Amino acid sequence: MVFDDRATMTNAATADGAGATRNPHLGVIERVVEHAADTRSLFLRVPADRSFRFVPGQFISLQLIIDGQSLVRPYSIASDPEQSDVLEICLNVVPGGLVSAYLFSLRAGAHLSFTGPWGTFTLAGPPTAETVFIADGTGIAPIRPMLRRALTTDLAVPVRLHHRAQSEAELLYRAEWQALAQQHSQFSFEAIIASASAVAPASEVLLERMHARYVAADQNRRRSFYICGVGDIVTRLRDALRGAGYARRAVQYEKW
Amino acid sequence: MLQAPLMAKLRVLYETGDPERVIEFDPRKAPFQHDGLPGSVLDVLLGHGIHLDHACGGNCACTTCHVIVKGGAEHLSESSESEEDLLDKAPGLTPTSRLGCQAVIEADAEVLVLIPRFTINQ
Repeated sequence: MVFDDRATMTNAATADGAGATRNPHLGVIERVVEHAADTRSLFLRVPADRSFRFVPGQFISLQLIIDGQSLVRPYSIASDPEQSDVLEICLNVVPGGLVSAYLFSLRAGAHLSFTGPWGTFTLAGPPTAETVFIADGTGIAPIRPMLRRALTTDLAVPVRLHHRAQSEAELLYRAEWQALAQQHSQFSFEAIIASASAVAPASEVLLERMHARYVAADQNRRRSFYICGVGDIVTRLRDALRGAGYARRAVQYEKW
Repeated sequence: MLQAPLMAKLRVLYETGDPERVIEFDPRKAPFQHDGLPGSVLDVLLGHGIHLDHACGGNCACTTCHVIVKGGAEHLSESSESEEDLLDKAPGLTPTSRLGCQAVIEADAEVLVLIPRFTINQ
């Protein structure tokens, strides 16, 4: 297993899409999996006549025309590069959102045009220090293939995943993480179910939990973090960790 | 008495050698379309029919809208930590690099940007 296959790739991202293509791919939706009423995965088959190679953590950019408007919308790839003929992307319904309403209306057999792969939220190499993945909601999507890639190596350091979601149903891939935690003694998984209350947004629980665990609990500042989610929670986590003394480059993140 | 509009000017050069483009616009009318910060280089370009890559939809999550500011940098909004973190990973980074989706142009300013060849990916 090559950990980071960028060096061997002929038409894939080397640094944020250098080598990616603006010439769109035309994928066909092979199946739709509903995780919860407002969360689902689309499995997009890439045409066999064009290879599509990516690095765990990257995203595709859907090229959409809805009501006459040309729109570009990024979606992280939740599947593994080893299965690059079918890409999984995760969607949430955005209240009033034109694009999410359109994508939720699509069924198997529909076509989607996309470019990519894009993005630099990727693993630099096998974990050499305690590595913490923090996912908020569908922010688990890019982290999934990164973490699965990390777990293909012989881990000498702890690797942890904390995933917050509004409900059990929205804890995507929970069974998968539990199974992997059984197989890898160095890997641990924490599910955090928290929804918004009258006094605090749901993500506040995640921030408090991570602060207690990685800032207040000890003086170890040699951990690496990969954070992904939607909205300000991502930069608030970044600021809390960097502000506590973790190196800037040790706190990687992607905010949607 | 009517006040003259505080027009701004954005000149665009291409490392590929494509012809220069010049846009004069009223920043108070931003946003000109739906991607990037209102009044940003990306917003102004797209709103005036000029393409600039923005694979992440102008959400400050990639570097495909990387531009190199050749003039008028002082008339752009300050870069955020998120923008700087991404620029660190941009190929061909220069001291005056900005993300087009984040650099907002002030009124009454003239800004000159160069679109690097390697964001084109062709």
